[in-house]
Amino acid sequence: MHEMSLVRSLIRQVDLIAAENGGGSVREVSVEIGPLSGVESELVQSAFDQVIAESHESPMTLTIRETPLVVHCLQCEDDCEIDNFIFRCLRCGSGHVRVIRGDEFRIASITLDERVTHA
Amino acid sequence: MPERTIVINRDIQSERRAAAEHRRQEFTRQKTFVVNLVSSPGAGKTTLLEATCRYWKDRWKIAVLVGDLATQRDADRLRPFVPVQQLTTGGACHLELSLVEKGLAKLPQEHFDFLFIENVGNLVCPASHDLAEHLRVVLLSTTEGDDKPGKYPKMFRTSEVMVITKMDLLPHVPFDVDRATVDSHLIRDSMEVITVCSLHDEGIHNWCQMLERRREQLFSEVDVPCST
Ligand SMILES: Nc1nc2c(ncn2[C@@H]2O[C@H](COP(=O)(O)OP(=O)(O)OP(=O)(O)O)[C@@H](O)[C@H]2O)c(=O)[nH]1
Ligand SMILES: [Mg+2]
Ligand SMILES: [Zn+2]
Repeated sequence: MHEMSLVRSLIRQVDLIAAENGGGSVREVSVEIGPLSGVESELVQSAFDQVIAESHESPMTLTIRETPLVVHCLQCEDDCEIDNFIFRCLRCGSGHVRVIRGDEFRIASITLDERVTHA
Repeated sequence: MPERTIVINRDIQSERRAAAEHRRQEFTRQKTFVVNLVSSPGAGKTTLLEATCRYWKDRWKIAVLVGDLATQRDADRLRPFVPVQQLTTGGACHLELSLVEKGLAKLPQEHFDFLFIENVGNLVCPASHDLAEHLRVVLLSTTEGDDKPGKYPKMFRTSEVMVITKMDLLPHVPFDVDRATVDSHLIRDSMEVITVCSLHDEGIHNWCQMLERRREQLFSEVDVPCST
């Protein structure tokens, strides 16, 4: 189970991005997780909740979007979505395919609480 | 409170991947062919490395890094043959590049033709960690069942070679080599399949030839001068 270490890395990166963008506390993190990412969404969610509850100053929430597995066929140049881990082009049947989506664990966006300076 | 959403679109592993790619290029420059061996616990990684060392003797300069949760046992088995460092993860289920670097620093600082990294026995987590290897090899032993490739798609998808081990046990277990091969080809069309019995040094010739062929391919590619 390596979700915990990846989630710690995720939170470090989010804090860094927030700091680079002028600070403010992070309200929400949106991530995308593909079927070939090597992580399980539910385990990521519970690891995230645990780390935030235990150690993080601001109570940020995590939104996970599960992305499809998409391959590009090097034979017929078509892209298709596969859902059974059978790496074959759905159009021509070739196994000469490259994964173009679905192996990611990606930070899509973060939402910051804007610090407002009142005059 | 007003809020602001910033679009990022960055993989959380992107920095690690870049570091691994950089390291791989360094290995390539040094002409060290790096092989990452993955499998479930006990599939026969260390035994295959023992047979490999026996087969090659002094033909190539070899070094081994071997990962386990605890103990020096695997390193002790390989030490009679080659320079070896045990990497103990202290509970972690996979090796990471930082551990590999630490192990490398403790090996004799000389040129190696082959560096074998024996990963922690686990068909899940090691799939997600690039150790800067040139070749990932997955071992599947005949006692594990021929249905495993489809059940662990990421591990088999990210491996280029599948070695079916413990072929001597075939008469005793319901394992169909063809079925395992077909299953692996659904996951990775180009999977090269090799069968061995490391205990009795069978199939080791094919295994070693495959390694030599791939090493040669890689380095002759590297040697080709850039056309202007
Ligand atoms: N019958 C038979 N047994 C084998 C063969 N190869 C390995 N074994 C046995 O399988 C057991 C595990 O082998 P190892 O080489 O230690 O496996 P491993 O993958 O290195 O194990 P971990 O490092 O613990 O994950 C040992 O008892 C070996 O003797 C083989 O070709 N035939
Ligand atoms: Mg071992
Ligand atoms: Zn096609």
